Amino acid sequence: MNTLKLKLLLGGILHKKLRLFLSVLGIIIGVSALFLMNTFGEAAKKKTLKEIETFGPDILMILPGQVRVSAGRAIQTEQRTTLKMEDAQALEKIYGIKALSPLFSGTGTARYSFKTITTMLNGVNESYIFLRKFSLIEGRNFLKGEITGYKKVAILGYKVKKELFGEESAEGKVILINKLPFVVIGVLSPIGIDASNQDQDDQILVPITTSMSSLFNADYLSGIYVAVENPSLIPQIERNIEELLLKRHRVSPSNIDFKIIKAEDIFKFRLEASKLFTTLVQSISILCLLVGSLGVTAIMLLSVNERKKEIGLRLAIGASRRGVLLQFLLESILITFVGGLVGLLIGGLLSIILLPLLKYPWVFPFKPIIVSSALTVFFGLISGVYPAYKASQIDPAILLKGL
Amino acid sequence: MSKPLIQLIDIRKKFQSGKITYEVLKGINLEVYMGDFLAIMGPSGGGKSTLLNILGLLDRPDSGLYLFEGREVNTFSEKELSRLRNQKIGFIFQAFHLIPWATALENTLLPALYGGEITKEKIQRAHELLEKLGLGDKKNHKPAELSGGQQQRVAIARALINNPTLLLADEPTGNLDSQSSEEVIKIFENLNKEGLTIIMVTHEREIAQRAKKIKFLKDGKFIED
Ligand SMILES: Nc1ncnc2c1ncn2[C@@H]1O[C@H](COP(=O)(O)OP(=O)(O)O)[C@@H](O)[C@H]1O
Ligand SMILES: [Mg+2]
Repeated sequence: MNTLKLKLLLGGILHKKLRLFLSVLGIIIGVSALFLMNTFGEAAKKKTLKEIETFGPDILMILPGQVRVSAGRAIQTEQRTTLKMEDAQALEKIYGIKALSPLFSGTGTARYSFKTITTMLNGVNESYIFLRKFSLIEGRNFLKGEITGYKKVAILGYKVKKELFGEESAEGKVILINKLPFVVIGVLSPIGIDASNQDQDDQILVPITTSMSSLFNADYLSGIYVAVENPSLIPQIERNIEELLLKRHRVSPSNIDFKIIKAEDIFKFRLEASKLFTTLVQSISILCLLVGSLGVTAIMLLSVNERKKEIGLRLAIGASRRGVLLQFLLESILITFVGGLVGLLIGGLLSIILLPLLKYPWVFPFKPIIVSSALTVFFGLISGVYPAYKASQIDPAILLKGL
Repeated sequence: MSKPLIQLIDIRKKFQSGKITYEVLKGINLEVYMGDFLAIMGPSGGGKSTLLNILGLLDRPDSGLYLFEGREVNTFSEKELSRLRNQKIGFIFQAFHLIPWATALENTLLPALYGGEITKEKIQRAHELLEKLGLGDKKNHKPAELSGGQQQRVAIARALINNPTLLLADEPTGNLDSQSSEEVIKIFENLNKEGLTIIMVTHEREIAQRAKKIKFLKDGKFIED
């Protein structure tokens, strides 16, 4: 009985399906975009915050040459050979530094029983893993003696281990790195892509000494990672490091040949960019909703015009003007609501597909759902007001005229 | 004699068309009693529909007095007028004015939507009315699937669903062939016999003659015969 009532009240919009669809298309696009972008904004923020956490607010990175922080990535504009092992040793004396690790990065091949892969070879010391907050799923960290003793031992990134060994244990096995035999002593837990935009699962860690002498024959560093005791001391420590290195390199501050990078520097831009992006896209989506609701208005006006007789009849048989007004307002809201619902569904589906594809963390889009729903109902109301008013002003006397 | 159901005293109605104002109803006096069956005839443009609109509370006169069941209509609010139209008056139109997307049964029940709830009794009554009007097998048909005569019978069922006191019909047979016209006027006769008061506008003499009384409207006034 209630369905009959509903049908008699709202049947008018449902019988022209194609038109209904066209009229809500704008709403569908607007809502799905709004939803998707909100979700992405949230996910991007979450991702960045998580990266800051993993990179650590207590970490400083010293890179040789001139380094530009652009688009949230630290990019070395030119490779320099100015940063030396002795620099790293000298830094250890600075007050407030908890630990540091020199880093030499290069690419190379790793081979184990007929499987050969190309990967990043990172020479580090025994502090590196703690400093980067990496953990091991297998084996152990480097021993101090292995670093100082130029030992051929290696810790594998998660992906490297999977590729070379599959499910088999890697610990204690001998692999060939650039044709030299190394003993695998550990495997890193999965990490993902870090702030330097490198897949930390696709790397092999070796002692810095071995890396610089046996593997690459280099006398300079790719960088130095520094962990401080207390993040609030970072500005002070940063100044001290700068002073010390300038003195050691004998250059003036205007010709500085290294750069100190903090978590903040890298992520500030990205947070701002994602905020800007979200605002921009939200504005566009709202514009889209606005246009969509204008479409609904146009269609509703057309519908009111076409259904003049029906409206006149309803008035003649006892509908009040207020009743007609409400009926058409309800129709508009229903149309937009349906459009909004479809939009949410599409937006949700796209998020489910796209978020993992772009390696974004999953967020439950609670806020986007609320925002989108509220906005659609609001726009439904707006788009319906004028047509509903028009409908309520129809003169039932037209029924006896003409025809 | 009892009090009239409807009493019109010197009803006047003007329309404006551009700069010209012309009076369509120039002082209508009319009394309709319960159980009457009145046919109104007259030339096209004579104001018959305008009069019916006023009688049906779809339009207000510019001046004059309209008493419905002894109460002055002028004093009624929009809401009261809606209620009266819904409960007391049934309309039949030349062009049927059925809702195209609704079935015969749903069309019949439309006035019940505005008279409160669509109760089981109302649905039962809609079924009975349609059966009584010979549409028992057409209840779930859309208007487009019905002939003109059948559509007009659905419209009659719709007009009767809320058990009105007065039936107003504007050229009810105007769009029908002679056989369907005969069916419709026969229904009117029967309804009148059952006590329903009917006012019908028509320009067909044979149809008008089936009413109990005929009045001629010409140049905005009834011609006294
Ligand atoms: N709303 C209106 N505005 C202007 N003129 C109207 C309006 N309604 C009716 N008329 C005019 O009033 C006259 C009477 O019309 P109507 O009552 O429909 O006559 P009938 O039903 O007898 O043919 C016609 O000339 C018609 O054009
Ligand atoms: Mg007419």
